[in-house]
Amino acid sequence: MTEQLLSVEQAAELLRTAVETGKPIAPLRDRVANADAATAYAIQEANTRHWIAAGRRLVGRKIGATSKAVQSMLGLEQPDYGMLFADMAFGDGETIPVSRVSQPKVEGEIAFYLGDDLDSDHLTLADVMHSIEYAVAAIEVVGSRIADWNIKIVDTVADNASSGLYVLGSQPRPLSAFDPVLCGMVMSCRGEPVATGAGVACLGNPLVATLWLARKMVEVGRPLKKGDTIMSGALGPLTPVKGGDVVELRISGLGAVRCRFEGEA
Amino acid sequence: MTALHELAARVDEAARSATAIPQLTNDLPDLGIDDAYAIQALSIRRRLERGERRIGVKMGLTSRAKMQQVGVDEVIWGRLTDAMVLEEGASLSRKRYVHPRAEPEVVFLMGRRLSGKVTALEAMAAVEGVAPAMEIIDSRYQAFRFALPDVIADNSSSSGLVIGSFTSPRLDLSNLGVVLSVDGMPHQIGSTAALLGNPVRSLVAAARMVAQWGESLEPGDIVMAGGITAAHALSVGEYVETQIEGLGRIAITVGE
Repeated sequence: MTEQLLSVEQAAELLRTAVETGKPIAPLRDRVANADAATAYAIQEANTRHWIAAGRRLVGRKIGATSKAVQSMLGLEQPDYGMLFADMAFGDGETIPVSRVSQPKVEGEIAFYLGDDLDSDHLTLADVMHSIEYAVAAIEVVGSRIADWNIKIVDTVADNASSGLYVLGSQPRPLSAFDPVLCGMVMSCRGEPVATGAGVACLGNPLVATLWLARKMVEVGRPLKKGDTIMSGALGPLTPVKGGDVVELRISGLGAVRCRFEGEA
Repeated sequence: MTALHELAARVDEAARSATAIPQLTNDLPDLGIDDAYAIQALSIRRRLERGERRIGVKMGLTSRAKMQQVGVDEVIWGRLTDAMVLEEGASLSRKRYVHPRAEPEVVFLMGRRLSGKVTALEAMAAVEGVAPAMEIIDSRYQAFRFALPDVIADNSSSSGLVIGSFTSPRLDLSNLGVVLSVDGMPHQIGSTAALLGNPVRSLVAAARMVAQWGESLEPGDIVMAGGITAAHALSVGEYVETQIEGLGRIAITVGE
């Protein structure tokens, strides 16, 4: 007799338990019924509802899998998205206990703050540019509740797009102050460059990635709103972090943002 | 000495006829770095005797990633001549090369003489302009396989360069976004930070290394600061463009 496949609710609960205990779980892709992207987003949505009901404040979205390399690794043909909650936000210069994120890695991104709703049908790039009140350099600390980051599309999407925490820079800039496509990105750890890239690494243009997200959010009934923070996607490779690491991200035109990690995983 | 002349003739002829040759270190496993640079100097002398003109130098292995790949902790350099220059927007003749690859780079134009041990401040003060560039690298060795002395003898793989418009060097060069696109699609993405953290460090190394061979960077010389991303192997029909934040763009097409 084959093992019973997990329902959406059961898979969602396994992930919540992994978040609470800090103990990663085995990949879900072979354990859930109808293991496809729709099911994975249903699992993510079940947890989003659970967490909002539990009092967490939804403050934005993250876009994941914005590079061709990551998409082919995960078996995706488009990016994915996850939810940002207020308790995931850190400030420039803060210290982060590594135990806060399961198997943490950092990546350099541009974060956008929306000054307008993006809730109409047939959104265009002009709507996105108009709605962005400011941009800041941001470090995303991604994590995975799936053991050894052994993830495919179903695993990462169900797991809130492997989100963890994010650190926002403290120099908000309008879009006119930098070049979102050609801006250089360098991330260093204790002064040593560990990742370099540019805006173009994010789907060719972080604004296009944000438009993709905005349209998707209208489609699924959770449209982007004034006041939302958007982590628009990695501009270069991921780097694992541990206690003692000091991570600094510089994005040309957007200044710098840094954080330090302490403690044991 | 004759042996070095003979080896210089071998790499020069390989470059001239676009014919791949076996690694020198296959037969000469003890070939040292100094001998390799001597072979390079002799092979460039052959070019100059044919009427080519020296225009500057190129730096290689300037990223941590490449140094680790090759297993060294020192950059390398090569010499550039006017015959290597491709006009911006030109069509590259694929058959003139063995296995050409393009790398996005930053190029310095020297306004003052620079040689020996200099600080980053002195180096930048000697720079008159900075421009976006692409280097066409082409190892003359079969299958792009070589040991460090081979590549140095082979003029550090240098074979062509495309240079854009020079602008003032008075901008922060440490983190400019770089993208090499092929037929309009981004293929290689990076930042000038990949060059030892800042391209000026490559210039400092250039001044130090040419001095070891009794040479200097002269006013009017160019210094190619080294590949910023992985190299792209060129195929006939491609339109290859490099854009660098704040510096501009250059492009070539790849012809037969």
